[in-house]
Amino acid sequence: MSHVTELSRMVSNFHVPGSGDADSGVPEFGFSSEVILYPETVEEISRILGFASQKGIRVFPFAGGTKLFLGNPVGAVGAALSLRRLGRVLFHEPSDMVSTVECGMEVREFQNAVGCENQLFPVDPPGLNSGATVGGLVSTNLCGPMSTRYGTCRELILGVRAVRADGEIINLGGKVVKNVAGYDIPKLMAGSLGTLCVLAEATFRLYPRQPFSRTLVLGFDSHVSCSQAAGAIFAADVVPTCFEILDGRLSSEFAAAPGAKRSVLLKFDSFEEAVIEQIKQVREITSGKSASFIEMGDEDSKELWDSVREFPFSSGASFSSKLTLPVTASVEILSDIESDPALSGVTVRCLSRPARGVALVSVDGDGEEAVRAARFLENLADSLGGRIMFSGIRRELRERIKAWGSFGEALFLMKNIKRRFDPGDILPGEKIFDAD
Amino acid sequence: MDSQAVKRTDGWKSRIASELVEMLGAGAVISADDELIAYESDGLTGYRVKPLFVVLPSSTAEVSQVVELCNREKIPFVPRGAGTGLSGGALPSREGIVISLSRMNRILDVDVPNRVVVVEPGVVNISVTDAVSAEGFYYAPDPSSQIVCTIGGNVAENSGGVHCLKYGVTTNHVLGVEMVLPDGAVVTLGGPAPESLGYDLLSLVVGSEGLLGIVTKVFLRIIKKPQMVKTLFASFERIEDAGASVSAIISSGVIPAGMEIMDNLSINAVETTVGAGYPRDAGAILLVELDGPGAEVSAQVPAVSGILRENGAIEIKLAADESERELFWKGRKSAFAAMGKISPGYYVQDGVIPRSTLARVLGEIGELGRRYGLRVANVFHAGDGNLHPLVLYDPEVEGESEKAEELSGEILRVCVEVGGSITGEHGVGFDKKGFLPLMFSEQEIDTMNLVRCAFDEEGLCNPGKVFPTPRTCVEPGMKKPGSETHPAREMGELF
Repeated sequence: MSHVTELSRMVSNFHVPGSGDADSGVPEFGFSSEVILYPETVEEISRILGFASQKGIRVFPFAGGTKLFLGNPVGAVGAALSLRRLGRVLFHEPSDMVSTVECGMEVREFQNAVGCENQLFPVDPPGLNSGATVGGLVSTNLCGPMSTRYGTCRELILGVRAVRADGEIINLGGKVVKNVAGYDIPKLMAGSLGTLCVLAEATFRLYPRQPFSRTLVLGFDSHVSCSQAAGAIFAADVVPTCFEILDGRLSSEFAAAPGAKRSVLLKFDSFEEAVIEQIKQVREITSGKSASFIEMGDEDSKELWDSVREFPFSSGASFSSKLTLPVTASVEILSDIESDPALSGVTVRCLSRPARGVALVSVDGDGEEAVRAARFLENLADSLGGRIMFSGIRRELRERIKAWGSFGEALFLMKNIKRRFDPGDILPGEKIFDAD
Repeated sequence: MDSQAVKRTDGWKSRIASELVEMLGAGAVISADDELIAYESDGLTGYRVKPLFVVLPSSTAEVSQVVELCNREKIPFVPRGAGTGLSGGALPSREGIVISLSRMNRILDVDVPNRVVVVEPGVVNISVTDAVSAEGFYYAPDPSSQIVCTIGGNVAENSGGVHCLKYGVTTNHVLGVEMVLPDGAVVTLGGPAPESLGYDLLSLVVGSEGLLGIVTKVFLRIIKKPQMVKTLFASFERIEDAGASVSAIISSGVIPAGMEIMDNLSINAVETTVGAGYPRDAGAILLVELDGPGAEVSAQVPAVSGILRENGAIEIKLAADESERELFWKGRKSAFAAMGKISPGYYVQDGVIPRSTLARVLGEIGELGRRYGLRVANVFHAGDGNLHPLVLYDPEVEGESEKAEELSGEILRVCVEVGGSITGEHGVGFDKKGFLPLMFSEQEIDTMNLVRCAFDEEGLCNPGKVFPTPRTCVEPGMKKPGSETHPAREMGELF
């Protein structure tokens, strides 16, 4: 009996690519798999990985498939393991504001489920409206504008139920918001791109929904005035849920502040009087600096926030990048990028999320110019004390632009962790690690 | 503590002492028995082990040299901060070296625009806030020992405090560390940027209880002082009503900076000691601290007051000024010390429960107290379900301290039964390692060992802590431990 046949017998549902009974839920992988397995229980995942580790079969886990463009491309695997059949909320205790969910559930669906109790799972990852799942969210740790206030998935995750590469089922962390028993392995899982374990369930801290919300869009004529205003907002007694700075191109394309050199987007959520007071403060401290000041309700601002959330991964550019930087550098990078001749031959779009020290950059250009731009950004991140990752790299550039910049001194420890968790490299490590 | 001592010759000890003195200078190496006594335990004084030496390095390079020596000679080593820990995490290893970070106590950089302060591990927690207070910032984690405990210890234990409901614990405020790995190599994880890419090694190091290496530099996130702070005091006839108020406040959309409950026994201990003005006849008191933008706090105060009333508060007071606010908090902060006035001995427990189980758990703790014939006072961070039951006993009464310890253990079992944790902020250390299997299976503890082995293959760094039984790193990955002898065990090291 072939290994594929044996694996297929371990689950209720499977699909052999090219067999003519394609499941419409299967995304375009960009890698080849002999079989796609759809386990419905964590025990099925355990059996699959136990068998795979014995036989040395590589297994690639995925769920919504909305972020497969992240990390290095994965080579051929014996089996792809879809978590889509694991899609239930398993536990939600409203008075504890904690919920456990299976990792194949869509983030939006999970948010709707806890929203019934007036609670909030405060993440807005790219792909939120196009099938992003809880498993993908944890695996990529890719979050959106709300991370300004609530942090990323790493700040929200309390526990995981996962399956190790050898098939052992493990429950780590817990279901309480404060817990220092043992190493914080749930946080290690966040951002590991499925290279350490297959996540089956995750437990999160929730927040209360806020009763009132407003968005502000401020347009600026110059980088200097924008930078000064951003600094003043950052120093003010305001607590924005979202705080983004767009370059001139994005300001126009997102119809935030057409024609402006920069725009600042802010969102406040709280009691109505508190939101109004904070808006008043922002108006006062940016007076004389901003060229335009628009206040919007939730409905009016929805399209704008959708665009911001999906950037830069929806931009169709030659590549996108995320830079993690010190706070001030994440603002000034807008100016650095704009003025450097190394980027003169490409079209650059840039968004800064200052409270998180994050800059998101898309670059559109051909061949050598795109590669030069990537090198420039990598060097810039290094020189500013930050890190960089590239994603959505066009096929013809992938040989010359790798997904990850330097991990610095952490790299060998990361490799040690991978080797300890998955000595047989059953879960494709090339997502993160370049071949030695 | 029945392990046999490592067989080291006097000549070997002299040679190691000479090497240490050469590295660090004579004033930085302690070997005299009477001087070693101060390092025999941390804040959990029930466990004591005399180390071989205590060293006091002044730089990362010196720490690295000492660790390299330990690695070469297979000497277990234990990092130590201020020694205020309550889980025996800094308990020395017999025939091991204690590496005290107390001389590495400099604030290296204050970078307000980037909201980062870089410190050495021996910097006292409160000193970070003191360094940035004039600029309108502070360092949020505030363990009750913050005027003496150090950042290195806070990182090791992932310390919390009374304000972590809203602002999180130490892990949420550490952006990066420089650390000496157990083989002496120096690495930096994270840095001044708020986010990082790749595996989150930093979150493994924070809370690792000194088992993964020695942190020698810490990048801390500072936050802006809130525009307004308001503290509400409420008294209740029943502690269950205080607990119900906590859940109702959070469900309403308000996340207070802190919410603390004290029961009647604690109230009376505090009143006897410091006279904070708490009503002695109340079943419980609840402190609620609200902070944030002025308009937000102003809107929250009446909303929270209404919730307290709806949940049966007998008396509600809003601190009129800073001095009254300090008085409200004075009682809470004095609670542990106050126990010493009403009982000759007490055992501080640290467990976590889901908020929703508060009434059940308090009932069970009361029942346990009756069964054991001991009084249990309850003081806790109610917002995050972090209980600190204080089991009162008389050490002069034969067998009573053992009963208190057993009762404390029973409380942890209750915490785990309701879905909680054996520790919320004190750590597992030496004291609770036997309780780890209450929460985790062998496979899960093996998984934690994979992390330890990725950092410390030799198992020399703070051995005998956290893990309930010895585990080796012989087989990378999934092979069950047990067939190989741990190198430190060969030396007679404690587990």
